[in-house]
Amino acid sequence: MTGRLAVMGGGAFALVGLTIALGLGLPPTAEQGEYARLIAVHPPIAWVAYVAFGVMALASLLYLAPATRHPRWDRIAAASAELGVVFTALMLVTGSIWGRPTWGVWWTWDARLTISALMLALLAGYGALRRMTPEPERRARVCAVAALAAVVVVPVNHYAVTWWRTLHQGRSLAQVDPGSDVDGSYVGVMLLGFVAMTLVYAWLLAVRVRVEEAEDARSADLVADAIAERRREGALAGQ
Amino acid sequence: MSYVYAGYGVTIAALGGYAAWLVRRLRKAR
Repeated sequence: MTGRLAVMGGGAFALVGLTIALGLGLPPTAEQGEYARLIAVHPPIAWVAYVAFGVMALASLLYLAPATRHPRWDRIAAASAELGVVFTALMLVTGSIWGRPTWGVWWTWDARLTISALMLALLAGYGALRRMTPEPERRARVCAVAALAAVVVVPVNHYAVTWWRTLHQGRSLAQVDPGSDVDGSYVGVMLLGFVAMTLVYAWLLAVRVRVEEAEDARSADLVADAIAERRREGALAGQ
Repeated sequence: MSYVYAGYGVTIAALGGYAAWLVRRLRKAR
């Protein structure tokens, strides 16, 4: 890893650490007591899960468009989908940890929660599809179409708390409205969390894309070696 | 408060663990 990339990663993780430290210092709230402090991590993680889904779909679109078709977009889509699995799973776990003391349950089949679980299933399905299709160009095409079909779930999940009666609270970003009764320190820590988590995502994506590039180059080398080997065998057999 | 610590702890562990695993994968792939 280059020095600059390592510094970027260190900075992004330090900012997450700062968000958590500030989160621990938030005052207890009237309704939720200390549990509201989970606002420092859960909404930012959920935001990044959406971003990961969106980047996967955008990169897939750029791959499918003839004018911009390049294997780089397919690698970015694959990398973002894997990050999406990590952040969506973490969103479900931190949400569950917040739900237990405030709602009394770890899980309920509420619209927001169910669609979030569907997001995880779709990302896992995308990952499975990549492994099932060995030929690189066909894999990129098929997965790009699947990613574009799957991304519809993101706006539906975002507005799920408005469209249906859910146990989950309203949209977190609606709290930024000056008319909101949420304490300013809570909004500040949440927004810092959004910035910190987005930077962590950007760094992880940069590293994950490099892994994809290195693995692709390695498998291309293996194929080239195998072809050269067969040719040598053929030449020997022909003598 | 234990739920807050659990939420923060699982976040740090998951992101830190995943980042470490990715860096290892990158070194191995090169």
